[in-house]
Amino acid sequence: MKTLHSHLEDHFEELELVIGWEIGFEPLRATPAFVRRREDLARLVWNPLCAPNLSVYLPQILKSAEKTEKKVAVCLKGCDTRSLTALIQEGFVDRERLHVIGLPCPGTVDPQALAQARKNRAPVTQVSFQDNLLILHSYEGTEEIPLDSVLARRCRRCRQPNPLLADVVLGDPVPARCDAPSFAHVEAVDSLPLEERRAYWERELDRCLRCYACRNACPLCVCRDRCLAESRTPKWTTQRDSVRDKFLFHMIHALHLAGRCTECGECERVCPVGIPVALFKEKMAQIALDLWDYQAGVDPAATPPLQTFDPSETGI
Amino acid sequence: MEKAVFLPDTELHEALAALSADAQVWVPAGDASKPDLVRFQRYRPGLSVRLDARSLVSAKEVLFPRSEALLRFVKEKDLSVPAGHRLHVDDTRTVPPAVVFGCRPCDARGFLTFDRVFLQGPYRDPYYAERREKTTFVSLVCRDADGACFCSAVGSGPADPQGSDAQLIALPDGYVLRAITQRGAALVEKIGRGPTAEQIQAARDMLDQAGREMVGEGSLTAMDAAFRARFQDAAFWHGHIDKCLSCGLCTFVCPTCYCFTITDEARGLSGERIRSWDACMFPHFTLEASGHNPRPSKVERYRNRVGHKFSYFVSKYGQVACCGCGRCIRHCPVSVDIRAVVRDLPVQEEVHA
Amino acid sequence: MPNVVSKNNPYLPQMGTIREIIQETPNIKTFRIVLDDPEQMAAFRFEPGQVGQLSVFGVGESTFVINSPPTRREYLQFSVMKTGEVTRALHRLCEGDPIGVRAPLGNSFPVEALKGKDILFVGGGIGMAPLRTLLLTMVDRREEFGDITVIYGARSPQDLCYRYEFDQWRAAGVNLVLTVDREFPGWEERVGFVPTVLAEEAPSPYNRVAITCGPPIMIKFVLAGLKELGYEDDQILTTLERRMKCGIGLCGRCNIGDTYVCVDGPVFSNTQLRQMVSEL
Repeated sequence: MKTLHSHLEDHFEELELVIGWEIGFEPLRATPAFVRRREDLARLVWNPLCAPNLSVYLPQILKSAEKTEKKVAVCLKGCDTRSLTALIQEGFVDRERLHVIGLPCPGTVDPQALAQARKNRAPVTQVSFQDNLLILHSYEGTEEIPLDSVLARRCRRCRQPNPLLADVVLGDPVPARCDAPSFAHVEAVDSLPLEERRAYWERELDRCLRCYACRNACPLCVCRDRCLAESRTPKWTTQRDSVRDKFLFHMIHALHLAGRCTECGECERVCPVGIPVALFKEKMAQIALDLWDYQAGVDPAATPPLQTFDPSETGI
Repeated sequence: MEKAVFLPDTELHEALAALSADAQVWVPAGDASKPDLVRFQRYRPGLSVRLDARSLVSAKEVLFPRSEALLRFVKEKDLSVPAGHRLHVDDTRTVPPAVVFGCRPCDARGFLTFDRVFLQGPYRDPYYAERREKTTFVSLVCRDADGACFCSAVGSGPADPQGSDAQLIALPDGYVLRAITQRGAALVEKIGRGPTAEQIQAARDMLDQAGREMVGEGSLTAMDAAFRARFQDAAFWHGHIDKCLSCGLCTFVCPTCYCFTITDEARGLSGERIRSWDACMFPHFTLEASGHNPRPSKVERYRNRVGHKFSYFVSKYGQVACCGCGRCIRHCPVSVDIRAVVRDLPVQEEVHA
Repeated sequence: MPNVVSKNNPYLPQMGTIREIIQETPNIKTFRIVLDDPEQMAAFRFEPGQVGQLSVFGVGESTFVINSPPTRREYLQFSVMKTGEVTRALHRLCEGDPIGVRAPLGNSFPVEALKGKDILFVGGGIGMAPLRTLLLTMVDRREEFGDITVIYGARSPQDLCYRYEFDQWRAAGVNLVLTVDREFPGWEERVGFVPTVLAEEAPSPYNRVAITCGPPIMIKFVLAGLKELGYEDDQILTTLERRMKCGIGLCGRCNIGDTYVCVDGPVFSNTQLRQMVSEL
């Protein structure tokens, strides 16, 4: 961690704000941190528990931040830099106002998987990381758990662990887990017969509370306070607790992300009732790749396919 | 223990089936495909009942469904009247008896907040009242608080009987079930078997031990004045809330959040006026038709959430509108910690240059 | 203690029929409504300032002040400005159409405490509606009150509500001062913003209570103007608006701190407003 701290110490005078992660209310909880004072830099951490994609804050923060010469520093994992790229492409973030700290990422932990992998039940009092091992300390003793065994689903299909866009990259590059886009999880559901597939989604979406955490955690859900899920004029969904309405919302969400979703998987991470909602967006990403050979947020110079019109395009 | 029975683990399903004969029985249960995803579900044979696990969402929906019809309306065509139709409105409903079996004490206590508003306010909510009267709460004395739990800090505790009609006390091979209210006594009569003196003693010891246990630091019950003093301290609220995503998760998993919306859902000539969960964290919650919004950003909205639970409710009813279950903290996508916010209300920070 | 709307179910509207619709301004209509059950209509009691929820079944409900006075009971009158989903639906209704009414709700003006006092009404645009119910109550009980001065303004002459009644108000001894924002052909009354006209008129605060309602920006300057004229906080009454759903203190959105506009309001004194958390 020396590198992140020392880098920020060296550049702090140029920065208005640093958005990173700190330890939350328990050792296994990393939570976003907004640091405005030099002495608080020490709170920042970087490890496989730093799951939140911090690019989600940038459009709003830059809008409300005072226009100064100072920059907003943001810590981004490899996949998070794709979200930033997409935001820049769409004009929601002014690249010049950012100081992007890119962090090669070994993968983030799925808390449920970790809970299942643990043999001890006592609360974790301390956690450390070494050579792709999580070392958990509790009153019952020390446990070592391989990071690979408790990775989030999004990380198991990761192909961009290294930052694609950064002012500084801290840490050595990490080998990608996948060489090519992997849609195995989507395809597994897709290959179910129609009736089974419908039953699968009805069962999953029945749990949806309509809390919209998936929407609000999504860096590319840029409508924010004007989402049509809650619009009454025009009215798209009812307030009934029905699978139909929930399904419709998730379809709208996915369609709005066609050719835009950078597959950061935040929607799925934050779902309190464990619905694999990222599969919808992965399906969109798969279609975008098939149709336009396009991967969102990979190339800052590219134009997202649905933001342009090419009369010669076929097959749509 | 005046009225108590012993319920062996092996007879749990039998007991739940017996209770189901004349009531809807809600139990914490794992999903078929995701056993650790525990929610309150209607009991049915084969359900994977998980009294050992904390449920993700509270038992709130048993008395306060996510969405319910307040009334139904039908427009009947009739050209003899000026409007061309006659309107029929009806609010009839049937509410079956229900049992919530194996919730935690915090879940049962959460309804005390509802009671103040829905039963003892200037207007009584008939939908809630009817369900309330017909529902029996059996809570499990809690032995596995986690890092998000803070029931003792809001005046409750892992063995809190308030809001429960009967209590389950876990022993190695089953549960002692003890009645707290008349309604609980009626339930206890239907299941289990006479406990042995040893079982009674073990249950008593466990109850004593749980009763002494403190879950969560300090006390958050007297923060009314501190909240008001902090109200306009923008730096304080930004410091705590900049990371909030302004979703509705915290309010939806909360056992005491009771805010709702009312909408008409119609198709053709008929429809329903429904009441559904709403969240003070959503911008449209207070958005007026003129475009004015008295709580325009997440800072004002979260401040209202804290104020409602720890200040406004206290000054109005003399109790906090929080049962310390910790769900809003445990499940928050960015781990916003309401305990920390409330605990910091009276703290004088050092002034940094 | 608020009135109980329906004995068993406060969410259930009483059924009524629109007897008459008056186009007040290009975007404001007045609805005169009669409850279908003659017994309910005869038994209907309310105080000036109380509100009602009007239902368009299939669209929803919205809150409006009952702007007819309790002294005139042949119909209940509501004035509706077209702004949102429900108000647009209300504007599409015709005379003879059925409508749901949940009323009366909320608190009211302290009529008894105003007896023997001089009164100043300051209204802007649709803000005249809550003032009208109290004004007509006083007109109908004229000898119980002192001087009644009304300063009423709108953007243009055609944006003034209740124009067809102005002569009656004046005939009843109301000192009616009308103003519009700028000159219009044929307009012979005052020109200028309401707060400016208030400063020019300068009604003495001695033994007087001021009651104001209008757009937030007008209220802000009127409150400052009244203070300038020497009015104390407890001599100023206003009505607040908030987004409402249930109207009965349960749904949780219309609160300002621990005050619920739907049951504790809509009428507040400036003293009460100052004690609330600042979240207007």
